[in-house]
Amino acid sequence: MANDRTDLMQGTLELLILNTLARESMHGYGIVQRIHEAAEDLLKVEDGSLYPALYRMEERGWIKSEWGLSENNRRAKFYKLTRTGKRKLEAERANWNRISKAVTKILQAT
Amino acid sequence: MRTALADLLMLPKRQKTALDVQEEMQFHIDMLERKYAQQGTPIAEAKAAALRRFGNLERVKKQCVDISRRNRLLRRVLKAASILIALTGLSIRILSPDLKVAHIGDTLIMVAVAGRLLLYVRGLSPWTFLPRTRETSLSVITDTTEDGART
Repeated sequence: MANDRTDLMQGTLELLILNTLARESMHGYGIVQRIHEAAEDLLKVEDGSLYPALYRMEERGWIKSEWGLSENNRRAKFYKLTRTGKRKLEAERANWNRISKAVTKILQAT
Repeated sequence: MRTALADLLMLPKRQKTALDVQEEMQFHIDMLERKYAQQGTPIAEAKAAALRRFGNLERVKKQCVDISRRNRLLRRVLKAASILIALTGLSIRILSPDLKVAHIGDTLIMVAVAGRLLLYVRGLSPWTFLPRTRETSLSVITDTTEDGART
């Protein structure tokens, strides 16, 4: 298995989750699938690791959850962005763009 | 003794949290299993692949239950503290004949109300200010032919 585990910047997973939930409320499995699809499977979130992140984000008030029925009629927990979460997403997006630009500039300069 | 009693009182809620977490994780694993089965992986292999792909189920469950519990406990403590402060403030306000002392009561009531509001404005939860712990990871896949069912 040629699989390089690379530690990305802290907060990256939270940003991806916030961004995924910006469109619609989703359950954990849906969030992982959406991230994998969007990244064309180049970036993989460890499925189990998603949940502690979701619970912490809910604790911080960025997202909230409620039980509902999934597409196959099973009880599933759906997460959606709160107003605080939307603000956090905007801030994190801006932060990501700023850091990304800075790193690109440094790499091009050397 | 008191802790044991508190544990006993909180047990049903703790069990409910654990059951909810279990149900949520199980749903995810079942969906993965279904996906692999639809791709033509034999059922037994699909089940094993789903579990592998999910990672350490017990560890994840414990982390989630712990996060839920600490949040609930902190909120309970803060709610109790705000009620106690409000009652103290109210007692001072009612019982004190001295205007200056009565102002202390007013201040305590305001502090309690502000504390209570803080709990409702979830973005201002005290946990927000704690340093983040690194419990999640992302992996960059270099082999794009890799599939969870085959690893």
